[in-house]
Amino acid sequence: MKAIVDCNSFYCSCERLFRPDLRDKPVVVLSNNDGCIISRSDEAQRLGIAMAVPYFQARHIIEKHNITVFSSNYHLYGDLSWRVMQTLRTLMGDNDKVEVYSVDESFLDLDESSPDRLQQLAKEIKTTVETWTGISVSIGIAPTKTLAKMANRMAKKDKQSSGCITVLATEPAIDAALRQTRVDSLWGVGKAYAAKLLNWGITSAWELSNMSEEWAHSNMGGVVGVRLIRELKGQPAIEMEEELVQKKMIATTRMFGRPVTAVGDLKEAVATYISRAAEKLRRQQSAAGVVSVFIVPGEQDYMTGFRHGPNISSHVSLPKPTSLTHELIKPAVELVEQLYENGRTYKKAGVMLSGLVPDDSIQGNLFVPQVENQHRFLMNTIDNINFAMRDDSVKFGSAGLTKDWKMRQELRSGRHSTRWEELAAVK
Amino acid sequence: MELEQFYGINYKGSKRFTQWDVPTANATGFGAAADDYMERGIDLNEQLVRNKPATFFMRVSGDAMTGAGIFSGDVVIVDRSVKAVSGKVVIASLNGELLIRRLEKTFNKIRLVPETPRLSPIDVDVSGAEFSIWGVVTYVIHSL
Repeated sequence: MKAIVDCNSFYCSCERLFRPDLRDKPVVVLSNNDGCIISRSDEAQRLGIAMAVPYFQARHIIEKHNITVFSSNYHLYGDLSWRVMQTLRTLMGDNDKVEVYSVDESFLDLDESSPDRLQQLAKEIKTTVETWTGISVSIGIAPTKTLAKMANRMAKKDKQSSGCITVLATEPAIDAALRQTRVDSLWGVGKAYAAKLLNWGITSAWELSNMSEEWAHSNMGGVVGVRLIRELKGQPAIEMEEELVQKKMIATTRMFGRPVTAVGDLKEAVATYISRAAEKLRRQQSAAGVVSVFIVPGEQDYMTGFRHGPNISSHVSLPKPTSLTHELIKPAVELVEQLYENGRTYKKAGVMLSGLVPDDSIQGNLFVPQVENQHRFLMNTIDNINFAMRDDSVKFGSAGLTKDWKMRQELRSGRHSTRWEELAAVK
Repeated sequence: MELEQFYGINYKGSKRFTQWDVPTANATGFGAAADDYMERGIDLNEQLVRNKPATFFMRVSGDAMTGAGIFSGDVVIVDRSVKAVSGKVVIASLNGELLIRRLEKTFNKIRLVPETPRLSPIDVDVSGAEFSIWGVVTYVIHSL
């Protein structure tokens, strides 16, 4: 049996933890740069706030109903996410039985639990996570990951009657659930895939589960289709994944707080993103062989965040993979110069480091010039200082000092769980 | 961040260390004897944080608990996994506010008792008020 534990309106729940006055009130959280609504409480949803709508479009509803709005506070969400996952690991007693799937969802491997105890177990997990972290969760349990996702969806649909828990352990229960689930709401079925299925006349998950594996193999994209069918039939085909230890590429992308026209500002932004990406690179002990840069021109309507101009991107291969910030900044800044067109406004930029290989400079290499080892020590020192002091205490000059282009986060709450200076107050 | 790091259940603290972090006297002469008694030192995280995912820090703003040695501006360590039994100092959420008080629980009554003569105890009307226990205060950090 597999379970999925999913935090309810995660970002909103995080915000409410230190604001008990908002307990039953409508709350929304905005994306980076206050562009769109990325999390909404049940109350906000009931008032007609849709997911991912631009902030300005929902503004009239927000003002009319006095909905509380927050800018995203990733320090807070990241910390609470860790707390939730850590609680699950403690409860499971074995790291391998917890697969963190996203910031607010985790798969649990319950193969060793007896089927008649699952409901009770789910209740215990839910209560413990809520008591320890203050974040409420929904739990779906079923024989496979895909069915567990489906169960979780049902649990969330009617929280009152389900108590946020749905267990599909018997064949009749699974059968009934499949019948009331549409194919387009299944895990792993995207829009295009769903359209294809509808063309075949398959609308419910139950109909899909009754198709044969051969049919899926020839009509639904080979192995992927077969896996989906098996999962729906209750045969585990998607196993628990081990934690992604080393990423294959590292990207940093942000919207600017205001449109940027000067090439200097653009270079500063890209240098800052490279610094952040290089830090991540060193943390996973890799070196990058390819640096890519992209910049997005924003035509007039930058407020909506939706009218993307065409991406302008370019990449360069390095003579030798490196993890040193200054060796990465240089080619990146040169790329910006190539891509930049005078007179245009830009609203977003990003960098990507790829071609990752293990960083052999970490231990100090006997066979390279002394100066390279020194550079590595310099990077370690910078990383250590920035990790301890935070907010980029030490940085490269090309990343700029003022950062006019930085993200807008006007409504951000305090970083209550990670910063000594920003602790929540109690009277 | 090192947050992804997992510690065994039995490990109570939050600091990672290896045997190499234990300092040695590094004496050239009669050093070995001192080395035998070298220890890792005291880690406050280990002593004060019993259950890391459930432990939060909060800043006291007000004089409600001065009698218990908790003053305005102090930082309290709050453990959400500790059971709130009668007599504990707790963070309570009452009508949208976070309050620090001593919890007094009898079979049919809940009271939040301040430790200062300037405030009076609050009788919690469990059916009417929006009330819950946020966490239990385990330590107070007071700057002298």
